[in-house]
Amino acid sequence: MVNVFSVPVFFVCFRESLETSIIVSVLLAFLKQTLGPEREPRVWWGIIIGIAISLCIGCGMIGAFYGLGKNHFSGTEDIWEGAFGLLAALIITAMGAALLRVSKLQDKWRVKLAQALEAKDNKKRSAGDRFKRWAEKYAMFLLPFITVLREGLEAVVFIGGVGLATPASAFPLAVMCGIGAGCLVGYLVYRGGNAAKLQLFLIISTCFLYLVAAGLFSKAVWFLENNTWNHVVGGDAAETGAGPGSYDIRQSVWHINFGSPLLNGGGGWGVFNSILGWQNSATYGSVLAYNLYWVAVICGFLAMRYNEAKGHWSLMKPKAKRISESDAASDTSSQQGEVIAETYEPKKVSTDFDAARSSARQLDA
Amino acid sequence: MALSLSNFLYSSLLLLLPFGLMADAATVTFDWNVTWVRANPDGKFERPTMGINNQWPLPLLNITKGDNVIININNQLGNQSTSFHFHGLFMNGTTEMDGPVGATQCGIPPGSSFTYNFTIDQPGTYWYHAHQRGRYPDGLRGPLLVNDLESPYLGQYDEEVLLTLSDWYHDEMPELIAKFISVANPTGAEPVPNSALINDTQNVTVSVQPGRTYLFRMVNMGAFASQYFWIEGHTMTIVEVDGVYTEPAEASMIYLTAAQRYSFLLTTKNEISSNFAFVASMDHDLFDKVPEGLNSNTTGWLVYDSNVERPTPALLDAFDAFDDFNLVPQDGQKLLTNVDYVMTLDMKMDNLGDGANYAFFNDVTYVRPKVPTLYTALSTGASATDVTIYGGNTNAFVLAKDEVIEIVLNNDDPGKHPFHLHGHNFQAVLRSDEDTGFYDPVNHTAFPAVPMRRDTVWVKPNGHIVLRFTSDNPGVWLFHCHIEWHVNSGLVATIIEAPLEMQKTISIPSDHWQVCRDSQTPYAGNAAGNTVDLLDLTGENKSPAPLPAGFTAKGIVALVFSIISALLGMVVISWYGVAPIGTSELQSAEKRIAEAGTEVK
Repeated sequence: MVNVFSVPVFFVCFRESLETSIIVSVLLAFLKQTLGPEREPRVWWGIIIGIAISLCIGCGMIGAFYGLGKNHFSGTEDIWEGAFGLLAALIITAMGAALLRVSKLQDKWRVKLAQALEAKDNKKRSAGDRFKRWAEKYAMFLLPFITVLREGLEAVVFIGGVGLATPASAFPLAVMCGIGAGCLVGYLVYRGGNAAKLQLFLIISTCFLYLVAAGLFSKAVWFLENNTWNHVVGGDAAETGAGPGSYDIRQSVWHINFGSPLLNGGGGWGVFNSILGWQNSATYGSVLAYNLYWVAVICGFLAMRYNEAKGHWSLMKPKAKRISESDAASDTSSQQGEVIAETYEPKKVSTDFDAARSSARQLDA
Repeated sequence: MALSLSNFLYSSLLLLLPFGLMADAATVTFDWNVTWVRANPDGKFERPTMGINNQWPLPLLNITKGDNVIININNQLGNQSTSFHFHGLFMNGTTEMDGPVGATQCGIPPGSSFTYNFTIDQPGTYWYHAHQRGRYPDGLRGPLLVNDLESPYLGQYDEEVLLTLSDWYHDEMPELIAKFISVANPTGAEPVPNSALINDTQNVTVSVQPGRTYLFRMVNMGAFASQYFWIEGHTMTIVEVDGVYTEPAEASMIYLTAAQRYSFLLTTKNEISSNFAFVASMDHDLFDKVPEGLNSNTTGWLVYDSNVERPTPALLDAFDAFDDFNLVPQDGQKLLTNVDYVMTLDMKMDNLGDGANYAFFNDVTYVRPKVPTLYTALSTGASATDVTIYGGNTNAFVLAKDEVIEIVLNNDDPGKHPFHLHGHNFQAVLRSDEDTGFYDPVNHTAFPAVPMRRDTVWVKPNGHIVLRFTSDNPGVWLFHCHIEWHVNSGLVATIIEAPLEMQKTISIPSDHWQVCRDSQTPYAGNAAGNTVDLLDLTGENKSPAPLPAGFTAKGIVALVFSIISALLGMVVISWYGVAPIGTSELQSAEKRIAEAGTEVK
């Protein structure tokens, strides 16, 4: 069994593709329901380019390892992991909130908003504003790209580490099964997304995305602390197993000798680690990071809700002029003017994709 | 009764004989000031070393068997205390002169004086060294040779040659020990020596004449490294190990662990056409990582003709050393049977709660008691036979007098360790192969009828050794690994042999008590210094607590809080998602659409 199917390699591929496919399928389902398939290519481009780059870097690393006989990147591996993890956590956090916010608009507004993003922006804006617009425009590309890049690199690094003792014949089946299983879960999420009410689907998947992001943030801090510990001890601390010596007792909040997501591909604990950020050896840094992340997210959402309701951030003066400007804009279309007066309720999203599309088209005519 | 004259003369001669012999026994006295001396023995690095009377290397002690030795020590180091142990000497009746700090004496603090006074009644090759935390690798060690006028090999050799082997560090021990026992060294990797020395220098030459037989006496005075030793082109005939004469045994290569000694006869060649190299090579199996640039081979030469060039020794593919287990003692002492008491010591290395790596006997790591064990035994009356009064971290064993004792040492560590017993030599009745696990008294190789005897023997990785001796020497004797790093990390056991006998026969000189007062060390009571309630060990020296196992309260709280914050977060997200869009949000969305409006349609 071991010679044809390597269980550690399977688990590594499974958990990397699981994280990626969940994020991607949430994006795709959202896009399909709101904006139509025209926007989907961007997501696929993000995936493809991400895979290509991570393969190149990964092959380069493995080539260097075998060629130069030294694990050059093992010294900086934790720094890469930490940096990527932080970046991914930030992007997912921003994206998740944006998706949820946009989904509250009625279909037609979503379509118009998306189209507005596409339009060439001639007006002068501040650099921060321009970056914001650019990020929104290419968000559908950036998020899958960064995710795939990170997961791909992780997978290559882990397999490179795990696979040294494994015969080559054990790879293909394990890799294909792992990736296949991950994609299957993602597909099920996508189908679920298409069938369910968009709002409910988005709320559940956003909760899930934020769980992943919280885990990522905590892990990023953990990787940076692990990097420091490796330098103190002078080697790859995980090589001493999961027992004493593999962690810094002075920073430890809890440590159990089993359940390490690093050893031997990690197995089920690796999946736990991917989705929830589980560590068998937690530090003050990783625990605080996890909790502070949630505190920040809670405050962020509360602030956003306040801002949406009052028109300004709490502790800041309201901008009086805003309403008169939109009055001027509202003259262009009578329908828009009617809508402003009432408290707006999102229309029930039709589960039939075509009906939604046709209603959007009707409004544009 | 009538005695014939011849009978009378004969018997009076017999009576006088012992007096005649005693008249030959001398008292030799030495006055030693322990001082710092700068030295550079390997030619690569000058460093401060601990010397005697401003000299380093330390003087050779050359004593005739039967002599009484008196050494007056004055510690002029200024910043460290010390003591002296005479490795391999039984100190029968003088256990207070044995030397280990915390076992038989208090450390001699700077400025204090201490006198060692003992008689040597045993032949062979020995050495002396400091016996306190890391002092001897900083230079305080030297050879001790005993001249035996009754040696069975007397007349079989023309000259004696002394060769000492040692490893050598460039850094001083206090900082090396701090790095070794620290959270940053969780695997317990021992510091690797910077070089190796023969006779405390390098490139030693021994001038030899052709066609003569020499007695080479070798001591490994190292702190850590075992060394292979061979002489090109010549065979060695082993005649003594650790003070025990053996039947002659031929060897082309010998293996000396730290603290071991060998004497061998070497017959030189009959022509003087070439010189021959001899090599001492440190055993890399002991080193965690071999640093680049380490030269673990030290070369010397047998010089027949000083005009002829000295050859470079040939490289060897493998080390094939003589197995000292096969030696047969010359006195033919038979295997001790009818064992009265078995001391089982299971050794391992593990981490404690401070993250550092320690060494354990039976899950206890040695920590020096507040009161030196000998003083506890002498000051506690009848309770001296109760092993608990000696402390929870001294690995103490109380033995009765004149019993056959068996030590079973199970090595649960994948490293080689040389073990040494103070106060005795022992019969090595079994040394298992590597990876054979623990000793099984029911199923083992047959013991030899005349087992090898010595005082320092090594155990193979994950194997075991069985040793036997007779407890005929009342005193406090340590049994420990002679790798100095492991002594510091606690691989030490304490034997209290016949404590009630000790109380009758041992008396401590006043300068020994003075040294305790000078260093503010208590010298009466149990291991915690309690003279009133001997079973109360509160306040004794203990090792760090073990590592927390699994989830502690701290961990559970952290995990629960994290789960709560995640759940709260998801509640907030859901609440936000369900809430309708706010007025101003819609307005700003419309504004953006309008701004881009002209191009959208």
